[in-house]
Amino acid sequence: MEFVKKLILSLTLVLSTGTAMAQYYSGEHTFDGVNRNEVSASVTTGKNIITGPCIGNTLHYKHYFNNNWSVDGGANLQYTKGLYGFKAKGEYHLKIKSFHMFASGEYMYNHYHSYNTNENVGNLSVRFERGYWDITLGTSFIGYNMMGDHYTEPITLTFGAHATLRPRTCHWNAGLLFRNYDDFYYENWNINWGLDFYYRFNSKWKMFGEFNIRPAGSMSQLASKYETTGKVGLIYRWK
Amino acid sequence: MEITMKKSISYSLLAAVLLTASGLFTSCEKVSPTGVLIGNTSVDDRVKQSLVNFSALEVATDKELADTIQEYSFLVGSDSHITEDPGRLEEMLQIGIDNDDLFFCHLGDLADTKAEYYSNTEMAIWRATMDWMDKYLVAETNGSGEAILDTAMYIDKRTGCLYRKDNNFFLPYILPFYPVVGNHDITHNGWALFSRIFKTSFYEFTVRVICENDTAYDRFIFLDSANGTLGSYQIDEIENGFFQRDKKKIRNTFTFTHTNIFRPSLNEFASTYCREELYYILDKLADWNTTIAFWGHVHAWDERDFGDVHHITMPSMNFVDHPNGGDNLLIRVTVKKDGKCKIEPVGLYCKQRSKQELEDEGYITTTH
Repeated sequence: MEFVKKLILSLTLVLSTGTAMAQYYSGEHTFDGVNRNEVSASVTTGKNIITGPCIGNTLHYKHYFNNNWSVDGGANLQYTKGLYGFKAKGEYHLKIKSFHMFASGEYMYNHYHSYNTNENVGNLSVRFERGYWDITLGTSFIGYNMMGDHYTEPITLTFGAHATLRPRTCHWNAGLLFRNYDDFYYENWNINWGLDFYYRFNSKWKMFGEFNIRPAGSMSQLASKYETTGKVGLIYRWK
Repeated sequence: MEITMKKSISYSLLAAVLLTASGLFTSCEKVSPTGVLIGNTSVDDRVKQSLVNFSALEVATDKELADTIQEYSFLVGSDSHITEDPGRLEEMLQIGIDNDDLFFCHLGDLADTKAEYYSNTEMAIWRATMDWMDKYLVAETNGSGEAILDTAMYIDKRTGCLYRKDNNFFLPYILPFYPVVGNHDITHNGWALFSRIFKTSFYEFTVRVICENDTAYDRFIFLDSANGTLGSYQIDEIENGFFQRDKKKIRNTFTFTHTNIFRPSLNEFASTYCREELYYILDKLADWNTTIAFWGHVHAWDERDFGDVHHITMPSMNFVDHPNGGDNLLIRVTVKKDGKCKIEPVGLYCKQRSKQELEDEGYITTTH
């Protein structure tokens, strides 16, 4: 049976090859006291108005130095979009009574191959987390180069809210999310929303998934569909 | 162990089902997940309707300037948000007629969506049309110089455009007033009001100039971005060559749409295009060799060159933002003989009228 289990997990991992940041939105985000390393891989499929069907992978590695500090890096390969990116992030965790607070700084690079555009993004965020919910507030700095010109957008608010059906300590969970960012982009005012879930097989393996709606426009613009995606992946932790 | 294994298989299958379902769900044209929660007019539906009207009703016709006219100008305004008083729109149209501007462009959020506001907007346009007809339209003549009264064809003496006076003679469409649809034009089912008057949100026309025996065409492109996206249907039309249907040698291209790309400052809303679409649009403008791209929505001025395209984000022209008017609420673009463009600000200064004054002039107010 152990062989079958490994085979299924391996196949899913191979099929996934890659996202990674979903663990930030559902599940544990702190050092468990034993496993300092974490890798995740996911596959994303969906449809958007520019390329039509889209598929891609992300791969992610996170290292916990101790209860407070962690660093992680990720790579994004969106094949049909011709979008390739990587990111690096440092995070500080602090427990304040029943809250977990996470302060993070992040750098992200995206190359939009179809438009020969290079995008550089910096983000500073603080996330507050409790058993059933978390909120994120921050600011992003977005600049892009294309056609020999550069534009840096004025700083933009980063916000996110996420609520779960069950406490995070449970071995499975599902939640509802609203946010203006995802693993590899920060939007301005467009509010993504969707459902996510995880299932923890044991202390080392966890599966996660997400159905994400990425609208164009916001508020008075009567948001309409830009992209909808489904994502599923695996996380593995080790010492 | 056995139980854990079964759970593993179950959840792996669940993941596979989720992936498959999301793929099918997102590929289905009949289902718009956001539309389930937010009722709206779809940009795809508006563009489909626009294309039908564009070809069937000749909403925006190509213009061929008379040989004696080798340069021309047009006025651009934005975000008039007309409620009861269409005064700023009246002023814009009057300025254009007085200064012989060839046509008018509006970058959306023309009127806030109430039926009476659109009635007043339509009346303001109709009144300007009367003045414009008096100044520029003449009855088409036969070979001996007599007016052809039975068919009642009228010709614009500057552009050669023909207008037919019969049951299909829609007065508002004669005035060369070219708006794009803005987000406030589509709220509360406003597209029904907007489209009744203007018929289309996605269209184009060209202006032909004959200069020293050389023929040049300037292209004017109007895009629907009221939802913060062009939508898949409009993008498909663009990619299928909607703006390259003819083989005209284009000298200048001007684009007009509502939702901005560039953000004038921290105080204004950022662009609401998703990131890839934002880059797609900038790339497309470069493909078209766009001379000037006009944007609205944020009610603030921004002017910059990016990727060989000159971008102008227009301030609003409404009474709320500018109760006393302003010196640059409109701009006039003059396309010179050599194709170069001169951009100059044009002021609007009229004050908002009282309900009584509006009623005296035949406009509808909310108290009556």
